[in-house]
Amino acid sequence: MTAPATTDSEHDDDIPATPDEGGRAPASRYGVLALAVMLVVGLLLGYAGGLLTPRLTQPGDASVEAGFARDMTTHHAQAVEMSLIAYRSATLPEVRQIAVDIATGQQGEIGAMQTWLREWGLSPTGSKPPMSWMSDGATVTDGLMPGMATPQQMTALREAQGIDVDRQFLALMYDHHLGGIHMIDAALDATDNDEVLRVANTMKATQQTELNNLRQLQAQAAKG
Amino acid sequence: MSISTPGGPERRPTVVSTGKKPAAGRPASGAKAGSGKPTGKPAGSPRAGGKGPRKPVTPVKVSQGRAWGPIALFVAVGVLFVAIVGYGAWATFQGSKPWDKRANAIDGIVNIRKSDPDSLKYESHKSGPLTWNYSPPVGGVHNAAWQNCMGDVYDAPIANEHAVHSLEHGAVWITYRPDLPKDQVDKLAGKVRGVEKTFMSPYEGLDKPISLQAWGYQLKVDNADDSRIDEFIKDLRVNASVEGPTALCNTGITATGTTPRELQQQPTQ
Repeated sequence: MTAPATTDSEHDDDIPATPDEGGRAPASRYGVLALAVMLVVGLLLGYAGGLLTPRLTQPGDASVEAGFARDMTTHHAQAVEMSLIAYRSATLPEVRQIAVDIATGQQGEIGAMQTWLREWGLSPTGSKPPMSWMSDGATVTDGLMPGMATPQQMTALREAQGIDVDRQFLALMYDHHLGGIHMIDAALDATDNDEVLRVANTMKATQQTELNNLRQLQAQAAKG
Repeated sequence: MSISTPGGPERRPTVVSTGKKPAAGRPASGAKAGSGKPTGKPAGSPRAGGKGPRKPVTPVKVSQGRAWGPIALFVAVGVLFVAIVGYGAWATFQGSKPWDKRANAIDGIVNIRKSDPDSLKYESHKSGPLTWNYSPPVGGVHNAAWQNCMGDVYDAPIANEHAVHSLEHGAVWITYRPDLPKDQVDKLAGKVRGVEKTFMSPYEGLDKPISLQAWGYQLKVDNADDSRIDEFIKDLRVNASVEGPTALCNTGITATGTTPRELQQQPTQ
């Protein structure tokens, strides 16, 4: 459409032998250009699609997965604190042993869950109240999720002496695991995210085995 | 705008109408002329543009047969490119295969998780001596205490009751016949020392010189140079953990002896 283009074609028209050649070359040139543009646009679309698809299919801010990752982090954090108290102060070596195992295991799981949130581009802090992702509407009392120890119970554990540390820790951790498994089940029911399923299944299996071991230790600690 | 608009309509018909006919009309000279190879009479036609005079100069030497040199070069570069990209893709694909797929592909590995899953189930920790169906055991019931598995190289047999608990935490346990030559033992120790979630110990009564255990997996080999040992460690260390990747291998039993121990009572606080 520009001036030079016009003059070119006029020149071609002047000479009878050449117009065909002059006319054909631009046509195929435009064809190649159009093909190149289509190719580039296609590649860009494909690239954008590749970039966007994981974004669009990964869990969002209000998803069950994000809620689980955030709330289970809070839940785990208390278990880590209780376990480290028991590891430091409990009397029975088996209690100290299971406590340190729980502490490092759950701290590791916190790391996994926080990594999910980062990968999903989400904040570790949610805008919805805790536990709202659970469909059965588990209740939060005083900010505490199912199975969590109250501040009074935590204070008592910190101040306990001797075999009392073992007994209090075992009782608190037993309830803690029960509540935790309740939350894990809710997540397992609702998610189809492979990574969440894998970690949640491991979590559940581990806590169920630990429940048996905790109960066994409770009997041992009751004797003194 | 007003200048170029008349040019447009004028031009379009020439493109459309002449575009087809001449192509058929003068195939001999025209077809090749289009590709920049005017044959005999280039001087006559390209008076049209400035390009005309230039064209005839270059084409002269192009008309010698095919240029095999560049073709061979391009083919060679192309093959090399495909090979590199192909290998990269293949290696990435192999590396991203799930660990259990890779483990099951190891020649001679026994997958007890599949063949005998019930043997791995247990209710809770049990103290005292225990028995298993496999030698060395590969999982199932165990003591509360685990054997330290922070790359520990034990020079005497250890208690199965603790070792199985280490397997549960994702450790790979290398066992060998006590009469295995020292250079072979050293080779095995080189794979273990400093590597957390591994440990090794001599084991009485092995039916093969070396046996490797992970939770639910076993591989017996004759020689410490067997490359499957490295594969077994790579595929199953940490991955085989029942309790996730961060289950502990420290703060366990560090003593040897096949009789299970009770954990040491902590000095009172």
